[in-house]
Amino acid sequence: MSDIAIDMRGISKQFGPVKALENVDLQVRKGSVHGIVGANGAGKSTIIKILAGIYRLSDGEVEIDGKPIDTITPASIEKEGVHFIHQDRLLVPTATASEAVFLNNEPRVGPFLNARRMKREAVELIKKHFQVEIDPDTLVRDLSAAQQKIVQISRALANKAKVLVLDEPTAALVAAEVTSLFGVLRALRDDNIAIVFISHYMQEIMDICDDVTILRNGENAGNVVPAESSIEEIVALMVNRDTSEMYPRRTAEIGEPVLQLENGTRVGHFENVDVEVHKGEVLGLTGLLGSGDKQLLKCMFGLDQFDAGTFTLNGNRRQFGSPAEAVKAGLAMIPEDRRAHGVAVDLSVSDNISIASINSHSNNGYVDTKSEANMVNGLIAELGVKTPDRFLPVRNLSGGNQQKVVVAKWLSCESSVYLLDDPTVAVDVGAKVEIYNLINRLAGEGKGIIFVSSDLEETVEMCDRILVMYRGRIVGKYQRGEIDSDQLLAVASGASTDIREVP
Amino acid sequence: MMEDVRHSIFSLDALSNYIVLFAFAAVMIIFSVTTANFLSLENIYNVIANKVVLLAIVSLGMTIVIAAGGIDLSVGVSVDMSALVFFSLLAAGFSAPLGVFAGLFAAFTVGAFNAFLINKLRIDAFLATLGVLFIGSSVQRLATNGGTPITLTTQEYAPVFQVISDSQLLGLPTPVWILALCSIAVFLLLHKMVFGRYVAALGAKPGVALYSGVRVPRELSKVFIYCAVLCGIAGILLSSQVKSYIPLSGDAFLLDAIGATFIGTAMTSDRRPTVVGTLMGVCLLAFMRNGLLLVGWNFFWQQVGIGVLIFVVLAFSFGLRKREE
Repeated sequence: MSDIAIDMRGISKQFGPVKALENVDLQVRKGSVHGIVGANGAGKSTIIKILAGIYRLSDGEVEIDGKPIDTITPASIEKEGVHFIHQDRLLVPTATASEAVFLNNEPRVGPFLNARRMKREAVELIKKHFQVEIDPDTLVRDLSAAQQKIVQISRALANKAKVLVLDEPTAALVAAEVTSLFGVLRALRDDNIAIVFISHYMQEIMDICDDVTILRNGENAGNVVPAESSIEEIVALMVNRDTSEMYPRRTAEIGEPVLQLENGTRVGHFENVDVEVHKGEVLGLTGLLGSGDKQLLKCMFGLDQFDAGTFTLNGNRRQFGSPAEAVKAGLAMIPEDRRAHGVAVDLSVSDNISIASINSHSNNGYVDTKSEANMVNGLIAELGVKTPDRFLPVRNLSGGNQQKVVVAKWLSCESSVYLLDDPTVAVDVGAKVEIYNLINRLAGEGKGIIFVSSDLEETVEMCDRILVMYRGRIVGKYQRGEIDSDQLLAVASGASTDIREVP
Repeated sequence: MMEDVRHSIFSLDALSNYIVLFAFAAVMIIFSVTTANFLSLENIYNVIANKVVLLAIVSLGMTIVIAAGGIDLSVGVSVDMSALVFFSLLAAGFSAPLGVFAGLFAAFTVGAFNAFLINKLRIDAFLATLGVLFIGSSVQRLATNGGTPITLTTQEYAPVFQVISDSQLLGLPTPVWILALCSIAVFLLLHKMVFGRYVAALGAKPGVALYSGVRVPRELSKVFIYCAVLCGIAGILLSSQVKSYIPLSGDAFLLDAIGATFIGTAMTSDRRPTVVGTLMGVCLLAFMRNGLLLVGWNFFWQQVGIGVLIFVVLAFSFGLRKREE
């Protein structure tokens, strides 16, 4: 018997030419809560997916409870007693609570399901560990987020888990639920179960973890014992300071306000949010998962509705019932999920660019193909979209060029305010720089830009002003240069609530 | 490499686009050799005037819907409701133009109801139109004492039916001219007008259409209403041809219309439905069925033949394309 529950040594993972992990070590002791922290893209989720058998490792060794494991599959790792509580709750929504607890481990009488025993044991198990009662017949989709977590953890316990891996378990929970979850985790730890805890929230890491492994750019950046350390020390280890030439300079002049939101509220997502964007200004909006920043963009663009607040665009009070109304009024959206909402990859470059403005290149409903071709060719040349001609399906373009197509679509509409929802997510570094250049160019043309990003460094480097959201509220306002990414992370994770009014 | 694929007509990809033409040529050759009458002018005239026209008009409607990424299982209901209202009004002694207008309006209502289910109640197009198919079938039975055809007791309207279904214009049957007009209209809608761009976007990625400011509910309503009205035209033609309203006779078009549209998608590199492709698909199905009939296969074996044909065309088309990739 070994003291170490999980021992991963020299783990490397390549995706094509991209090194996601290089020579990473992770040792988790039995009877401890082990935190893994790192900025976005640091490799947290990659190492977890390797352990879960979702990714095959390129190099390195894995031992579970002192036993070397050659090939990990999702099924084999559960047999070793390692259970995963994933962020997006992987439960069957139409199963009952008791069915979910005993999924793949159902008590049987001969070939038949013993439903009565299953219900009784589910209730007992949940009561023993969580001191709450959940109706075993409730459907999973009708359970609250906290109850779903309970069911997931109970399933692991019903399977005699030796290791529990929790990926952002508190993202959808309120403070009291977090406290009770931590109580349960401590009790499990005292039962000698090893717990791996991944969170963006630094204060939670400090509260619950016995050890912390810090990742940065796919490498180990250090191991820390929170009791002997501080949030500042951990954050300093997380953030990469090398920003060199990634971020091109901008010389846009900032003009009058184009978009204002006062006391914007969407129940359950954000409350009393004030936003103001000027012509030529890049306003950063950042927060961790569930902070409400993305929902705010959706409400502005008419994909969702504000419950309260005053929204003004180009001097007119607006409330958009659909994106069509928002587009007509001059809003543009560069969505996070490019392949679902940005470009239709099966359609040509031309069809993608002209879709939003085709009406203004038509007579009585007939497309004026000459005028359309001029507009599309002009934009392809202007933005430098790398394509042999405008008829190529967008599928064949690189990520950066696809994003240019999205921008070209909005340039053709002469939109006045651009809502950017994590436009650089999942694109390579070269494409990122191209997107930054596009942003600068839009600002230079006097567009107002709201730049939502989960990449804090990018936010700090690209934005004229920054608003930080935390659990639905704006908790920080900064001018360019007033804050660095370490401090921003501290504010965004709720460790510091240093609200500074912009003069 | 990419350039080669796009410009050489000898590439497998381009070859796969011609598979429908090859299949059509094969069908024509095989049946003209194996049967005596297949290639006769009379037989071809008969197939086009009686089989191609009605199926083609319904299939044009289906083409719009499938191009927009949906499906309309209620095309038969639109055909029948149009015929039912048309004949009910004639039987009650109303004028023929009013009857035609009311019939088309009945079809319009079916399309509008589909649009309501899809847009307002957010039911998936498949399920919404499936529901309408059930409701429409029952409505027809209820309105006709369980399925009794409506025939007219007077000969008053005989000239009307003659004009609609049994006359010629410039040497071609009137229904063929009506099909030509419908084809041109749908061609302009799908391939020349702004509406067609929205349809293509909805078919390729509805999320992109929504995020690009396309008024998705409005365009989807148009899609289902255009389809239903085309089916209504087919309903007027069909009932004029048989000089009666026969309940549930529109159902026969559903599978052939879907089949013809998908066969047509094999004619373009991007595998999207087009007017020309659908018309080719309809001709292929109609002549195949006619040929099998002349060879002496009964209806059920014809269905088997059609099934195999669709299978072969699509399998070849996609298979060749995949090999290229």
